[in-house]
Amino acid sequence: MNRRRRHLVRERMTRRDLLLGASGLAVALPLLPSLTARAQDVAAPKRLVLMYTPNGVVPDAWKPTNVTSETSFELGPTHRELAPFKDRLIFFSGVDLAIALSAGPGGLHQRGIGGLFTGRELQDGTQFVDGCGQRAGWANGISVDQEVARHIGQETLLPSLELGVHALDNDVQGRIAYAGPGQPLPPMNDPLSVYDRLFLSVRGDDSASDRLKRRRASVLDAVKDQFTALESRLGSADREKLDAHLTLVRDMERRLAVSGLPEGCPVPEQPPALDPASEEAMPLIADLEIDLLAIAFACDLTRVASFQISTSLNRVRYPWLNSMGEGHLLSHAGPSNESSRAELMARDAWHSGRLARLLQRLSEIPEGDGTALDNTLVLWGNEVAVGNTHAHTDMPFLLAGGTWSFRTGRALTYSSASHNDLLVSVLNAMGVPATTFGNPDVCTGPLSGLV
Amino acid sequence: MEPNPASTGVTPPGEQPGVCEAAPKPPSPIALLTRTQYDNTVEDLLGDTTRPSTTFPAENQVEGFRNNVYAHQASPLLVEMFQGAAESIAARAVSTRLDTLAPCAAGADAVACGRSFVRSFGMRAFRRPLLDDEAQIFDGLFERSLANEGYAGAVELVLTAMLQSPQFLYRIDSIGTPTPETGAVAFGPYEMASRLSYFLTGSMPDAELFEAAAANRLATDEEIETQARRLIATPRARQMVREFHHQWLRLDNLPALMRTASELGAGSTELGRDWLASLDAFVDHVYWEAGNASALFTSKRVYVTPRLAVLYETSASANGLTAVELPDRAGLITQPALLALLAHPDQSAPVLRGVFVRERLMCLPVPPPPPTVNNMPPDPDPNATTRERFRVHTESDECRACHQLIDGVGFGLEAYDQLGRYRSEENGLPVDVSGEVFGTGDPELDGVYSGAGELAARLAGSRRVADCIATSWYQYAVGRTPAEADACSLAQVTAAFERSKGDLRELLVAVTLTDGFRYRAPLPEEAP
Repeated sequence: MNRRRRHLVRERMTRRDLLLGASGLAVALPLLPSLTARAQDVAAPKRLVLMYTPNGVVPDAWKPTNVTSETSFELGPTHRELAPFKDRLIFFSGVDLAIALSAGPGGLHQRGIGGLFTGRELQDGTQFVDGCGQRAGWANGISVDQEVARHIGQETLLPSLELGVHALDNDVQGRIAYAGPGQPLPPMNDPLSVYDRLFLSVRGDDSASDRLKRRRASVLDAVKDQFTALESRLGSADREKLDAHLTLVRDMERRLAVSGLPEGCPVPEQPPALDPASEEAMPLIADLEIDLLAIAFACDLTRVASFQISTSLNRVRYPWLNSMGEGHLLSHAGPSNESSRAELMARDAWHSGRLARLLQRLSEIPEGDGTALDNTLVLWGNEVAVGNTHAHTDMPFLLAGGTWSFRTGRALTYSSASHNDLLVSVLNAMGVPATTFGNPDVCTGPLSGLV
Repeated sequence: MEPNPASTGVTPPGEQPGVCEAAPKPPSPIALLTRTQYDNTVEDLLGDTTRPSTTFPAENQVEGFRNNVYAHQASPLLVEMFQGAAESIAARAVSTRLDTLAPCAAGADAVACGRSFVRSFGMRAFRRPLLDDEAQIFDGLFERSLANEGYAGAVELVLTAMLQSPQFLYRIDSIGTPTPETGAVAFGPYEMASRLSYFLTGSMPDAELFEAAAANRLATDEEIETQARRLIATPRARQMVREFHHQWLRLDNLPALMRTASELGAGSTELGRDWLASLDAFVDHVYWEAGNASALFTSKRVYVTPRLAVLYETSASANGLTAVELPDRAGLITQPALLALLAHPDQSAPVLRGVFVRERLMCLPVPPPPPTVNNMPPDPDPNATTRERFRVHTESDECRACHQLIDGVGFGLEAYDQLGRYRSEENGLPVDVSGEVFGTGDPELDGVYSGAGELAARLAGSRRVADCIATSWYQYAVGRTPAEADACSLAQVTAAFERSKGDLRELLVAVTLTDGFRYRAPLPEEAP
């Protein structure tokens, strides 16, 4: 069905039909007309999204084909849905996850996912044993989204928003975002909770909202004083832990000053209650989260987000693609296994389609002379290059957007570049004047040739 | 007070008296309440049964455990959720039961009523009497709010603040009196009350524990033992024992498990919750009816829902769970829930099962496969058994090094398919259930055997397995992976478990009497 016809069908369906997805197709929360009108009048901030999908890709379907020059290439079959945005993409060849190549604690998936957005190795630890007997701690540093949030996240309702789709493993192989060394941030896997978090505190009339803020301010004052009273009686390790918590309380207090939902940003319709543990619900959850993220950006409720589909070493099936293999085991199939390869390619294409949906949604929000897409940068990564080799070389990174900083519409080739350099480039594009990120031993500065 | 690990006979036989006494004690860092603990605490504190934590993010896990004091920590999301939950809990409490929560007779001084509420309710919320400065902070909030919010509103705001205060959200064990001469700090009475209640009931201390703490009656082994036995007999202890097994056995993915079974019609069926209920009931049976670790490994009891009864060819009453004795079962490792969880959708998984038994039940981590190996299970073959398809593991030297540790354990469970159904044949071929336990260092375990029954009997008779159970319970009780400083405590608890001949409730009591449960290392600030 082409887009025009699907659009017509949509109009005839009831809202309930749409959300339940009569044919398994997830359908959007509508971006309200007044919201799009509003967005035009406001000086647009820059936004960052980190996207993660697990267990490697099928490289020959993922990589650009017929590459005759940087700018002359065709999209691989995995990325068909990204065709409308081809001129906003940058593909990479020869960028390694150098941080995971060096010997260090943890298995290959663990080291990969831990280092992916932190550029750091895992902490030593006797703590975690994953399904494969590898012991390691959490990643040993802040992730790039949180570093950006420290710089540009302080004026919005939420400094950052961590979203997950069936990202339900709560140990090192299931975390991509870190507030600091050993401080993983959990993703939200339930669109209804995301909705509540974004809109519950800011809806209602002004006087109710003012009263809530006043009450919260008095309560948080007392809470802060209790932290201080307690900390004076604790040892230094416990004090440090409480300090981290107190900082979060102070952040909440500071955000009370953030005016609620801006003018022209009405509260969207509430998404349905869905079971985050259901494999069947994954496509609807993913699309609802993408739509909520687009609205959150449009209304400037946050400027930094991560979007994580499942976790490394998962056992997730994708029933809506008729892919009934269990994720991680499936990814171990060699290239000669045709049926597994087809399943993996279908998953890769669905993942790529989520990125396409996000870019599409952003491109529907007018901003200044263009759209929100012009002010958004997406970095998509994976913890290994290929599932059956677990290689950390030639990683399937994809940049989308960031056109204010990067020359896009290109397929770039490097020779064993370290992905830490790419993370520095992301920081720089987001206005953070860094020259290094993560472990400095595997970082030489911004990646050449991007800007 | 002197640490006294040698009382009530928990000292391991042959151990020199005083060895544990002199040993360094482990630390006891502050511990953020888990979701279960939060919900239970709110219920016991306020009668609020709404289980508010369902929207909280999941705890970071360590080896399956959700209560690890290092991994479970505040995040922006969690702190926001604490705020939202505190607000709605406080609003509900004030609107439904202000009179019992913060009684104030007509004409009484509202400020005096507020001060009384802060101290009496605060004592239960903080699980110890408030210190003066803590009480004054709430007094100030109450008095400042009174004019704008009225009495009920001021109580509501104080309650909202209490529920976000670290003294409520964290279990804090380190405001004790140092006894530097022994290098150990005994937990104070209120600290001990919370340690006992959160370990054994997953919640705050009850009235009797508070009384005991107030009278300083939680200082001796006898006093602690009395309270432990009392708590173990409460309904909350049953919930706690189930919760422990969810974490220890890593059942996170079980509730959402969907499987296709021709007996139940076309399409996938959400059987996970049936299986979880079945396993919970089995755990209840083992702990509260049988009471002994041998039942954990040898009981033929299975609990079935009507749907599960169809799968396992037995009969069940129309509602709820029915207890049946199935002759083809042998305890935990043959429980349908675990067999289904440790399987692929279309075939049994001897490797997953073997790794599970070694890692969870023997506490023997298995080394990882080499990174480039294709460890996808071979496709089902209508002309071969699962076992035959895994032959490659023992044909290649590279694979054999590890798979001799794993497969010989998992193969013994090949008489159960991916849905946990018993089978004597697979694809018309007889199922070979012979196996070998290898390299465990326990002569009771190692050696060739045949079938789940013999494997289970090995597990039941093994000191290593008993020690592993005891160690896992200790790990759960202290919320940490045991380290060097826990060696004495582990020796105490494993010896007590052995001496009780595998009595599971005695094991829980023994944990509360270990050094690691009773004492902590002094903070650097406290060192002499």
